[in-house]
Amino acid sequence: MKDTTLTQLQEAFPSATCTQVIDTAVLDVQPNDLTTTLTALKEAFGCDLLLDVTGIDYLTYPKPPQKERFRVVYTLRNWRDNLVVQVRTGVSNPEIGLPTASSIWESANWGERECWDQYGINFSGHPDLRRILNHVQFKGHPLRKDYPVDKRQILMESDSLEAPLKSRLASKNIAREAMTELGTDVMFLNIGPAHPATHGAIRFAVALDGETILANIVEIGYLHRGFEKLAETHTYNQVIPLTDRLNYCSSMMNNIAYVKAIEKFAAIEITERAQFMRVVLGEFYRILDHLVCLAAAGVDVGGLTNYWYLYDEKEAAYDFISKLCGGRLMSTATRIGGMYHDFHEGWEKEMEFHLAAIEKGAGDSQGLMEKNRILQDRMQNVCRFSPEQAISFGLTGPNLRSCGVPFDLRKDAPYYNYDSFDFDIPIGSNGDVYDRFMIRYEEIKQSIRIIRQAMKMIPGGPVNVNDSQVHLPKKAQVYTKIEGLANHFKMVFEGVHVPKGEWYDGYEAANGELGFHFVSDGSGTPYKCKVRPPCFYTLGAFPAMVEGNMIADAIVNLSCLNIIGGELDR
Amino acid sequence: MALGIEASLGESVLTSKLDEIINWGRKYSLWPYVFGTACCAIEFMSTAAAQFDISRFGAEVVRYSPRQADMLMVCGTITYKQAPILHRIYHQLCEPKWVVSVGACATSGGIYDNYCTVQGIDQIIPVDVYVSGCPPRPEGILNALMDLQKQIESNSILIDPQARHKDFRGILDQ
Amino acid sequence: MSSELLFSTIAIFLLAALVPIGMVATTIFGPRSSKEKIKNEAYESGIKNVLGGVDQKFSVKFYLIAILFLIFDIEAVFMYPWAVNVRELSWFGLTEMVVFILLLLTGLIYILRKGVLNWR
Repeated sequence: MKDTTLTQLQEAFPSATCTQVIDTAVLDVQPNDLTTTLTALKEAFGCDLLLDVTGIDYLTYPKPPQKERFRVVYTLRNWRDNLVVQVRTGVSNPEIGLPTASSIWESANWGERECWDQYGINFSGHPDLRRILNHVQFKGHPLRKDYPVDKRQILMESDSLEAPLKSRLASKNIAREAMTELGTDVMFLNIGPAHPATHGAIRFAVALDGETILANIVEIGYLHRGFEKLAETHTYNQVIPLTDRLNYCSSMMNNIAYVKAIEKFAAIEITERAQFMRVVLGEFYRILDHLVCLAAAGVDVGGLTNYWYLYDEKEAAYDFISKLCGGRLMSTATRIGGMYHDFHEGWEKEMEFHLAAIEKGAGDSQGLMEKNRILQDRMQNVCRFSPEQAISFGLTGPNLRSCGVPFDLRKDAPYYNYDSFDFDIPIGSNGDVYDRFMIRYEEIKQSIRIIRQAMKMIPGGPVNVNDSQVHLPKKAQVYTKIEGLANHFKMVFEGVHVPKGEWYDGYEAANGELGFHFVSDGSGTPYKCKVRPPCFYTLGAFPAMVEGNMIADAIVNLSCLNIIGGELDR
Repeated sequence: MALGIEASLGESVLTSKLDEIINWGRKYSLWPYVFGTACCAIEFMSTAAAQFDISRFGAEVVRYSPRQADMLMVCGTITYKQAPILHRIYHQLCEPKWVVSVGACATSGGIYDNYCTVQGIDQIIPVDVYVSGCPPRPEGILNALMDLQKQIESNSILIDPQARHKDFRGILDQ
Repeated sequence: MSSELLFSTIAIFLLAALVPIGMVATTIFGPRSSKEKIKNEAYESGIKNVLGGVDQKFSVKFYLIAILFLIFDIEAVFMYPWAVNVRELSWFGLTEMVVFILLLLTGLIYILRKGVLNWR
């Protein structure tokens, strides 16, 4: 962030308090000024990407920074100038709440729904304030501090979704009278959570004219496993296995994003070797995630051979990963201050072998799919999305780049020496499903380039910081010296003490910007850990993408968006 | 309830031979309904892929309709929001049917002991085989399939195959 | 009727009768299935009530495509016996068949002009 930005912000918003936390500008505003501040930030300061909306409950916080119990935080990004702004405001009465921001950014729609669902903060003027993650018979708001973590509520019968679908259809001004004259009417269809094409547990209710989708409602939350509430009861390092299961196809990227955010705020400088390790493994997992997406997308179009073919490379990569991490899918390989294990002996040869196999396999697959007439007819000019719409809906990652927006955190806000690697960012030209599909092949190639460069540049040396407050001491110290034992004991039982504060940090994961917003009270467990999931906002854009297209197009679009349930619902 | 006319033949060499043939047919053609919600579904995808090959056990034909499948494999976490769906799918499966609970989350809630996760699908539907692991290795899933095949071997046409679960009452079975 | 024809007719009828006989026999002799309430309800991906109700009207274009398929399929079926006996029927049969096809061709041109085959 430029030095002048903070003064510019203070001049533009004199009634707000401007501070800086790591490289984010933080504005504390009054609820009356919220809408004007947000609009001005979007128009004058170019923050047209609303990353996240979340709430904070200060009920059990030691010496809370404000007198109101709740706070709502809007995290905005100016992607051209690498500026992240957080706008915070206190909420004195959650029943009245705040005015909605969904008229400024479309991504605020789902963000505010989640805030209402988890914290009970009302957003007046919101078009569709319903529960999003918890079920329809749920009473209470689970992320509030007075809601016990194990208070279970049984759902007896699923929501029928008829009312929201009909109201969305009505808002589209479809002339139903004209249709009934012809002897037909709008047909409603439920593409339910138990469906092979929904890649997990996502539910749609569509209103159809023949096969064309007139209106579409997306219902998520079928895999809501309470990550954020669980993070409040575990120490910082104990949350790492929970982060594995967010985007389970590229589990180490979640680990890296999580510890990177903590290390950035706590000013823990990890070793060079650890940085390069994280780059190599992060890019390796990006390749694996893209392989799964391409394989599954091929299945949805009908090309099953592609799936068997690409899965071969993935299985081979699992051999490498299970040698390194002990598990095939879940890595849990990062720790605050470094990594769990260094690389094993001979890893360069194995990695090069796997990269060569992936290059060949993905290259063959691309050759089969790229010029395939059937694939082109199914995917080209289908579900087109303009760059402005994509930004407004909060898309990031390959889905945003396929719409033509050249935003990648690795280039625009580099970390871990990414600015010293030579790689390109593939950008799509049409914003259709074909672009979303093909961009992943190109990203695989670029990731392979990065890994090869990083493997040449990786230095030797320790992998973990030598700080006993941050990383577990060596076992020899633990068993022979009293300080070692005491440090080990404190770190395991209390966790790494992160300084008090609130911060946000983003990471370029396989699906987009994976951000973590933390509130720390100085102890070893996070007071609040909010994940900014890239899939969540992508799926919020899904109705706008598919309305006007046919069901088959919607299915193909869904598979090429790479929606992972664990990340979507947390 | 589910006994055909051959049951009136009583225990004889005819029914025991018939048992063998019927069990042989059933255990080597278990068509799975993969109720995949989370990470374990990815491991099931690996099991179905070429290296671990569930097809050699006869279970390659993954049917996504409960009317066409006979083995329900619950791969992944089941939340309270998903529970009525699972309950309904189980009851819509045609007899004879078996349930395999793949992974720690389906078996007992896994690492998610909180307000939204069902602590094991056996609170909702009766389960025949449990597979532990987070996620289990594909060999674990194949081992479960082989255990299920051993269970099926001991079935008899004189006994209703669903009778083993007739006293089951789940939380959604009021 | 010649004896081969008689034999083949009876064989075809017996084979065709095997289907309903098989279905009835397995119902009588085979195991019973449970008659639970949920089992007999419509499958809607796990949701209880079919969205929009089971009596909602389908769009008319599905019906149109089905009917058109039926008509042109039957036309093809009618052309088979003529194709088998084309020599015996000689010119008379040819003119009859050309008239038949021309009638249906005018129908095809009509639906093409109306845009019914455009699936949108």
